[in-house]
Amino acid sequence: MTQRRNTELGLMLMAVIITAGAYVLASLGSDARIPANIIPFMASVLGLLLGAHVAVRRLAPESDPILLPMAALLNGLGYVVIAGLPEQTNMPSGEVLARQQAVWTAIGVVGFVATLWFVRRPRDLVRYRYTFGLLGIALLLLPLVPGLGTDRGSGSQIWVSVGPVNFQPGEVAKVLLAIFFAAYLAEQRELIATSVWKVGPVRLPDPKYLGPVLLAWVVTLVVMVYQKDLGSSLLFFALFVVMIWVATGRTSFLVIGGGLFAAGAWFAYRTFGHVQDRVSIWLDPWKDPSGTGYQIVQGLFAMAFGGVTGTGLGLSSGVRIPASESDFIFAVLAEQLGLLGGALVIMAYLLMVGSGLRIAARADHAFDKLLATGLTLLLGVQAFLIIGGVTRLLPLTGVTLPFVSYGGSSLVVNYVLLALLLRVSDQNERGRARPRVEAVAA
Amino acid sequence: MNRSIRRLGIGLVVLYLALFVKLNWIQVIDKDDLDANPLNTAQVRRDFNRPRGSISTADGVLIAQSVPNPDESSEFERVRVYPEGDLFGQATGFFSFRYGSSGLEKEYSDLLAGTTFEQQIRGFADLLVARENVGNLSISLRKDVQELARAQLGDREGSVVAVDPRTGELLAFWSYPSYDPNYISNVDQAAAKEAWDIYNAAPGQPMRAHQYQDRYFPGSTFKVVTGSVGLQTGKVTDEEPVYPRVTSYTPPQTNLAISNFGGQVCGGPLPDVLRVSCNSAFAEMGQATIGAADMISGSESWGFNKAAPIDLPDPARSVFPTDVVNNPPKLAQSSIGQSDVQATPLQMALVAAGVANGGTIMTPHLMTQVLDSQGEVVKTYEQKPWLTPLSPEHAATMRADMVNVAERGTATGLLIPGYEVGGKTGTAQLGTEPPQSHTWIIGFAGLPGQDPSVAIAVVVLNQSGASEATGGRIAAPIARAVMEKILQVQNGG
Repeated sequence: MTQRRNTELGLMLMAVIITAGAYVLASLGSDARIPANIIPFMASVLGLLLGAHVAVRRLAPESDPILLPMAALLNGLGYVVIAGLPEQTNMPSGEVLARQQAVWTAIGVVGFVATLWFVRRPRDLVRYRYTFGLLGIALLLLPLVPGLGTDRGSGSQIWVSVGPVNFQPGEVAKVLLAIFFAAYLAEQRELIATSVWKVGPVRLPDPKYLGPVLLAWVVTLVVMVYQKDLGSSLLFFALFVVMIWVATGRTSFLVIGGGLFAAGAWFAYRTFGHVQDRVSIWLDPWKDPSGTGYQIVQGLFAMAFGGVTGTGLGLSSGVRIPASESDFIFAVLAEQLGLLGGALVIMAYLLMVGSGLRIAARADHAFDKLLATGLTLLLGVQAFLIIGGVTRLLPLTGVTLPFVSYGGSSLVVNYVLLALLLRVSDQNERGRARPRVEAVAA
Repeated sequence: MNRSIRRLGIGLVVLYLALFVKLNWIQVIDKDDLDANPLNTAQVRRDFNRPRGSISTADGVLIAQSVPNPDESSEFERVRVYPEGDLFGQATGFFSFRYGSSGLEKEYSDLLAGTTFEQQIRGFADLLVARENVGNLSISLRKDVQELARAQLGDREGSVVAVDPRTGELLAFWSYPSYDPNYISNVDQAAAKEAWDIYNAAPGQPMRAHQYQDRYFPGSTFKVVTGSVGLQTGKVTDEEPVYPRVTSYTPPQTNLAISNFGGQVCGGPLPDVLRVSCNSAFAEMGQATIGAADMISGSESWGFNKAAPIDLPDPARSVFPTDVVNNPPKLAQSSIGQSDVQATPLQMALVAAGVANGGTIMTPHLMTQVLDSQGEVVKTYEQKPWLTPLSPEHAATMRADMVNVAERGTATGLLIPGYEVGGKTGTAQLGTEPPQSHTWIIGFAGLPGQDPSVAIAVVVLNQSGASEATGGRIAAPIARAVMEKILQVQNGG
């Protein structure tokens, strides 16, 4: 037990030192934009992350030692980049954002600890699967309620505004739906896997077991059409298809899923202006580089300007990329830290994906496996979608970069997601460790 | 399920590898292209709040400088101002936070900001002395000449480019419509955008430096090139061949005749046909006497099909068609500056300069010197030849033939008492309903018996009328006035 936790502590300290060092460097230079008076906030962020480690020692002592330090590193680097963003018309300065981000980190860590505290066994969640499923769908649709939903000027109707509080219910919904799917598929996977529905010579799975899945597919289409949120829609779709595939082991689901995706994408492309816009900007951002292609083009300029070694932390010239604190934060980060820093971030996500999938592979129960797979997929695919969008590997879909982007809903939910992964991991290792200890004792 | 999970892992690794490859692509492989993109303001952004040197003219007028921002609440400590407004707009360019930079501001950005290696070394030497390590740029233009060019052209679209043929220094560099870089360089982003949109929507594209970024049919001014190529290849002399006195020339493979202006009958050897700008003779000269291969390589030896190496960004290429080899009608048209022949005003000024300077075209440039804040010279422009399309003796022949045109031919409007003047008119027809043309003049002038000290090209666009006299009537007085002013300055009053 202690060995894993000490590994984690070592990595955590490294993440904290890297972040603090980066922060000091960024605030030292003569051109520094980071004001010194938010150092207390920085210190509390780092303190909180170490607090999270202490909580893991108590609540999930056998869990994976990689995930939390990686999240801490990403959170810390993102914090430094956000703090260095200069003031800009109609946008709060990096200083203001950094203070808020510190508060959100605190709430995120509290959520992380609370999740570990309340969810003592992953299977505790199974009981509430339909509650979670319905709640997830309700949350997804919440922004469509008149008077509640707003797009906050972003063009995507994904916000809910209650008094002074704005949040993105879709962020919460994605974890709830992952839990629901894991539970539903763990229960039904044998049936789905063996059922056959013959359409002529083609053998398809029986549609009657797929009801909830198809429902989810429809819901994601609704999200895409009415909320204009391509990123979340794509993320959900990937989640559903891959989870069914993992649950049943039948490749035909990937093929069917791919087909449905192609059909949906084609339909959306033909029908909706915003989808066409995204695709045409992706194909040729240079057609209107100071209008629709502005964000992408400026992002490319910023990353290229950074080169291999970057311009240096806090020395970004990336004032003018819209959404540089959220969707486009990777461009700013890759400008300041260069290819080396960009590759580091990509590697950090890959390590998290690797850890998450290892947890899934080592789990004993179908639900645990599927839950870990789904949560890892959410994290990995979301990071891939937005980094791919910013680097023009894919059409841009507006999702946040997990743990790095500014934004309360996303940060808090990702910490909860992390806690669930650690919970599954802890469960696995406990199940293994005890008999081994006994065997040695005997 | 573990098999699927493993495969999923492999799939995600592949996706992330693709990200890594794409990131390398942007930050390493495409870096130089992206950095050099004209829309890229990264360099400007970095430079924007640093001290930046001034730009001043040969007669000591400040035309670009950075001053403290009067608005102290602004995030920008300095603002870039252009005291002469539109007069030098197309030379200095703008220095905008939103739109990057253009013109000299772009070409000499590092020198102005003091970030070149040499300047950094100098700055390092006096590390303990508090002074701004910037470069102040001196250019060869003068305010008085520039103002005269602006007044002469008035509100007619066109360009005036004058150059010292002996050095390549530009002496006049005006085109209408121009623009005021103060508006684009405004630190108020909304105001800058508004100005940008207005200028981009304005007729005549004021923000393009038409002098060297736009090209037009050169019309009969191109006959200087055709004649010179004839001389240099040895196929044409002042005596031979003698072209027949006719009203038109019909090249092989067509029935379409190339007519002389107003049905005029003309012919004779080179000096005579140049003097009256005889279409039939030059069409035959290019098509039959010289031939396609020598016309192509000859015009390229004058700088066609490449961009003049001026010290300003994005110069346009001047064009002589290369598909005339088996196309005698097109070759004949091209030989008189029609068909697909296109030239920038700068290119045509350099043609006149090449003749004036004994057959060698000097590299055109604006920058003469860069000084540091203490007035010490950081860098001096090194004059160098660009092309040598003519030998000295053939250049002397063409020079005499062009003087003949000014004294006794279509370019008499160019004559300046007390100076030796040569020239050639041009009228590039654009249409006949109603008759419209770009009117041209190219020429040179200097003290008698000495090398000419100024060469010029003037083009006035879209003028009504299409006779050969049009160029002489409209463009020649502008060129004459500007050259006279330059000669007065050069020769002390």
